[in-house]
Amino acid sequence: MWESMSLGEIIECASDPYPSMREWKRKSNKKVIGTTFADVPEEVIQAFDMLPTTIMGTHKPLKKAQALLPDNACSLARSNLELVLSYETDLFDGFVLPQVCDTTQHLSDIWRINLKGKYFESYLAPRQTDRESAKYWVRKEIERLIDSLSNFAQRGIKREDLEYSVEVHNENKRLLREIYSFKNDNPSSVSNRELFSMIKLSQQIDKVEFNQTLKKVRDTLKRGTRDGYTDVVLAGITCDPLEIYDLFDEIKLNVVADNLLVGSRYIQGEVDPGEDLIQKLTERHFKRGFFSPIHGSVFAEFQEIKRLYQENNAKAVIYVHIEFCESQEYDLPDLKKMAKEEGIPMHVIETEYQTTSLSHIRTRLQAFFESIRGV
Amino acid sequence: MSEKPKKELTKSQMLSKKITDEYMDEAFRAKEEGRIICYTTAISPVEILVAHDIIPIYPENHSVANLTAKKGAQMCSYVEGLGYSSHLCAYARCDLAYRATGFTVTRGIPEPDMFLACNAQCFTLTKWFEVLSRRGGGLPLFVFDTPQYIRDKRAREEIVKYCVLQLKELISLLEEVTKRKFDYDRLREVVKYSAEASILYRKFLDMARYIPSPISIFDALIGMAITVYRRGTPQCVEYYKTLCEEIQEKVDKGIGVLPKEKERFRLYWENLPIWFKFSDHARLLGSYGGVILTSLYVHAWSFEFDLNKDPLYTLSENYVSRFSNVTLEDRIDMALDLFQRYSLNGMLMFMNRSCKAVSFAVPTLKDILTKKTGIPALVFESDMGDQRFYSETQIRTRIEAYFETLERLGLAKNPA
Repeated sequence: MWESMSLGEIIECASDPYPSMREWKRKSNKKVIGTTFADVPEEVIQAFDMLPTTIMGTHKPLKKAQALLPDNACSLARSNLELVLSYETDLFDGFVLPQVCDTTQHLSDIWRINLKGKYFESYLAPRQTDRESAKYWVRKEIERLIDSLSNFAQRGIKREDLEYSVEVHNENKRLLREIYSFKNDNPSSVSNRELFSMIKLSQQIDKVEFNQTLKKVRDTLKRGTRDGYTDVVLAGITCDPLEIYDLFDEIKLNVVADNLLVGSRYIQGEVDPGEDLIQKLTERHFKRGFFSPIHGSVFAEFQEIKRLYQENNAKAVIYVHIEFCESQEYDLPDLKKMAKEEGIPMHVIETEYQTTSLSHIRTRLQAFFESIRGV
Repeated sequence: MSEKPKKELTKSQMLSKKITDEYMDEAFRAKEEGRIICYTTAISPVEILVAHDIIPIYPENHSVANLTAKKGAQMCSYVEGLGYSSHLCAYARCDLAYRATGFTVTRGIPEPDMFLACNAQCFTLTKWFEVLSRRGGGLPLFVFDTPQYIRDKRAREEIVKYCVLQLKELISLLEEVTKRKFDYDRLREVVKYSAEASILYRKFLDMARYIPSPISIFDALIGMAITVYRRGTPQCVEYYKTLCEEIQEKVDKGIGVLPKEKERFRLYWENLPIWFKFSDHARLLGSYGGVILTSLYVHAWSFEFDLNKDPLYTLSENYVSRFSNVTLEDRIDMALDLFQRYSLNGMLMFMNRSCKAVSFAVPTLKDILTKKTGIPALVFESDMGDQRFYSETQIRTRIEAYFETLERLGLAKNPA
């Protein structure tokens, strides 16, 4: 059901993938395992013939989550909790919840206590990445996840299962990279909204099927123009709601590079081939780019943003700050300072999951880019 | 107008002052003596630093001094002007203001040479130290990563192994920074002092089980300071011996924070204290016959080091299993244990807007504790250090209403 989607259908499905996931689950009779940001090795879940899906909030009203969390909890945490408690409870057979910050750590307890009867596993990714012990620990956690899923599924996995899953995931990332690259030169043919909807859906629906759609999209891409577009680098963790990309499209911004989880950081996560696939999955963990909760060096993040800005000859950087994300809030003042010192125009947009009005973002974006373009 | 007579200090208070003064003098002399200053988190395996003759400094403690002196709003506002959000930890905001302005009500703290952040306490400290490390031009920051101590025996064994590996990495870093070989015998000695002090510290906290209680949480918060920054030293052991003797004397004489007949509400406190309301709260609650006896927070330094085990192993086991790093189910069990042992009949659940790590669990914790104990809870939101988020009237009214509820439910001791 996800093999042959039009660009319009991709956008629609990315906005709310859950109805189609329900239908897929009914038809396939397979289990759906929810995960949250970031870095759960989804290849392992898929190897058990279950669907790994990254939960990325809901735009439906909040009913229960507010009573369970502090008022200033990260809006993504609140939105995800609402989704699983009020709207999609029965879709999920279980959850593998990574712990990357205080919010994700404590949220996983709240989910477990409020959703009894579901499969639960924590993925305790290391919150340091520069030492040998981190490598040791990632491997141990992947092995523990495999054991845990084996208990849940009442069966183990063979090497071929994992190999096939890795192949499917790698192909997905290669296809996204090709489309992204094409879009950079032809922004009038593929919009920001379309591209980032494809990346989002890739983390949510069955990739065996969705790769077919991506191949068709790639094969039917038509050359366009970059006239009138301003190239920008997008930085942060995520950019939600997807309607923000419509604003970029509206004012003719071309996102040519990014370091988002629902963006290049996902696409970077290809697993190298090799005999010991668990080792290769472990190594992949350390190949991915900057993610504020687990990487300490904001200077390194800035160097990466600067590299993307310079290599792509971009005109500005747009940094997306998720309100109440502590991690970003500690980084941002220094990041802004570094950008200023280097003369890189950086515009920060404040977002909140379940934001309905984007008019303030539109106004600020327009003003910023009018000054960049010298209008 | 006659001057208010100064209250005579007790033996333990004098000792606490002496230990603190000596510690700070030593810290300020460190640079000229060529010694290393390491900023660290209040919950961190400081024994390793002490054993290697590195002076641990706790920016949190320094912030507490400024917040208790009611400087939070002023300092936090300043930092917001630098681009930091008002949602961040008040300790961090206060410290960043100190860095920028030099303002402090104390003599300040010496500049760091390196950092040790243990995330068993929270993640915010790691991020805060990252900011300081950047300001110092990239000073070494070691993150002692303690994955949540989940309820799975095998996973726990692996977690401890991972922590031991990291402590070895920390030791290598210290050897590199100081160009000195680490002395494991010295570490054993330091852990022995920590173990001894921890037993005494717990004994002190547990004296709140007596009726009337000779100590309140406010005494515990003052009493915990020495174990926070001087554990691993003989001075720390001496202090808690003295403190326990003093409190035992009160117990023997039947002296309580409130007289026995007036002690009506023996309360549990969830979260860190509201530092700038420290003594006001004690007075306010006392006027209703209420006394807060304990919290998981003060018990965070009740370690149980096993001297028969490898020191790195017992340090890992202890630091990874602090209340802030266990599952919510374990935290509930820890709190229930306090309810039972201290005969508690009320609970104040503080949603601390600038400590999300501890506050995330509060709503769920409150629901479950209420269900399991049959005791209703008072939940209120404020900030541990920033007065702008404290509503005096609202909190006073709610405390009054809460005590009326406990009374009505027949939960008060010594009914009026």
